[in-house]
Amino acid sequence: MRGFWPIYRRELFAFFVTPLAWVLIVSFLVVQGMHFFLLVDHFSREVDVAGDETPLSAFFGNTVLLYLVLLVLVPPMTMRLFAEERRSGTIEALMTAPVSSTAVVLAKYASALTTYVAMWLPTVLYLVILSRTGDLDWRAAASSYVGVMLVGAGYLSVGLCASALTQSQFLAMVWTALVLLVLFILGIGEFVTREGTLMHEICAHVSVWAHMNDFASGVVDSRRLVFYGTLAVLPLYIAAKAVDAWRWG
Amino acid sequence: MAGYKGPALIAVSHLVKRYGAELAVDDVSFEVGKGEVVGFLGPNGAGKSTTLRILAGFLGPTSGKVTVAGHDVVDEPLEARRSIGYMPEGVPLYPEMRVVEYLRFRAELKRVPRTARATWVDDAMRRAGVVDVAHRQIGHLSKGYRQRVGLADAIVAKPPIVVLDEPTAGLDPNQIRQARTLVRELGREHTVVLSTHILGEVEACATRVLLIHRGRLVAEGPTDRIRAMRNATAVELTVRGDGDGAARVLSSIDPIWELSRVGSGDDMCRLRVQFPSTLSVDECAAATERCVAALVGAAIGVREVHAVGGSLEDVFAALTASDGSSAEAEA
Repeated sequence: MRGFWPIYRRELFAFFVTPLAWVLIVSFLVVQGMHFFLLVDHFSREVDVAGDETPLSAFFGNTVLLYLVLLVLVPPMTMRLFAEERRSGTIEALMTAPVSSTAVVLAKYASALTTYVAMWLPTVLYLVILSRTGDLDWRAAASSYVGVMLVGAGYLSVGLCASALTQSQFLAMVWTALVLLVLFILGIGEFVTREGTLMHEICAHVSVWAHMNDFASGVVDSRRLVFYGTLAVLPLYIAAKAVDAWRWG
Repeated sequence: MAGYKGPALIAVSHLVKRYGAELAVDDVSFEVGKGEVVGFLGPNGAGKSTTLRILAGFLGPTSGKVTVAGHDVVDEPLEARRSIGYMPEGVPLYPEMRVVEYLRFRAELKRVPRTARATWVDDAMRRAGVVDVAHRQIGHLSKGYRQRVGLADAIVAKPPIVVLDEPTAGLDPNQIRQARTLVRELGREHTVVLSTHILGEVEACATRVLLIHRGRLVAEGPTDRIRAMRNATAVELTVRGDGDGAARVLSSIDPIWELSRVGSGDDMCRLRVQFPSTLSVDECAAATERCVAALVGAAIGVREVHAVGGSLEDVFAALTASDGSSAEAEA
């Protein structure tokens, strides 16, 4: 893990001195803020709404907005991680310093993840607002955030991997968006395939929608943990192998 | 660092690098001793950058063994990389960082102890001459300054070896002069390996030259030998008239000189006198004087005298041809 900290700090620095980071975070918060406003407005007008639905579970679970936002935001967050350095040549200076490939991959990943966490952090305010006006299920809130973080960890890992596999930031972005879109569409397949078929099983297993519904209602299923664990670790592993492979290309 | 006492700081034996079907480096072997300034000379695409990238640990060798300060670049990559300060071709830097931020980042990456970091960065900035732009953003710097930031980066961790790939590429003549001075200064404290496709560059900086062509090491020797070949090849004279008279006069001085007509114009003619390669630098200068004196003595107007340096190709040809007789040439 030689070189992890300096690279991690530099990556964060590089991300936040460019307007891109702020544009992404601001647009994320605008969309989530509107989302939250509409939900609260909706629930406040329909007081006798069906029992188990709460603003919290609706915000994290029963909505397409969450994934659409991530589908749009994750690819530009990760596209530059490796592709930019390879295009500009700075990767050569980086990889000739006494650092291990694993450290480089993990440092870049950790910086993206930190940015992601920073992006979500202001939404904790919504919980504060909700808890002031009524009862809040803090366990469900915690599991919702676990879910959001797991989805992000997996998506960012896919994005980092795509960035390591091409020298073009644009291609990295397109590839990431494609993979995430395929995952998302497979998830929708849960509702269109017939129950009992293998396809239905697969679709249900990868359905980010179903996953977030679970998390939003306070259920942390170990199958979800394994799924997102794999989705995070496998692309990272491929990326580390790719970084080593440049050396022998 | 100072601890290394072995005979060769860099040892490369039978290095081969293949990109798919293309052979970029073909069985290259050489050694570099402590305190040397070695110039890698060859045309573009000869395999210089590939060799340096393998030394620096950016690329892995297809076969062969490369050790840097006693560490094998494949088996002990981190230790090997720690003993090299490398400046890649084109000096890629992070444009959004300030010079001092970048160098602190690089120093930390190269594991300069925390307490020494600020001092060493200041040191490197002073030696590379970037103190006055320390707080400027790298993206706003001129090419010359960026080159110097690259040099500062190469020396910031005080490595025993400094490897510079095309350190003067893209600079204007003034900056080239400054860069060469810097490289010579580096040579006092570090072992330096640099690459270039310009003959004058190695002459100005290096103590020893490795000639690489199509991936093969075609010759190596002290810079003086290269310089001799370059300076002592031929002279071009522009004379008044059709040149026949001048040719007669010149060929009567020494019949073994090769005489050729390289151009003619309105009442003028340019002749080239090729001296034999056995002549030393001084002898060639004397021969040039005799040419001019003879022409003037024969009342032929001399308009221009121009000593012709051997081109890189000439030096290649001469070096590869004289490989067998190098003992005689050095005697």
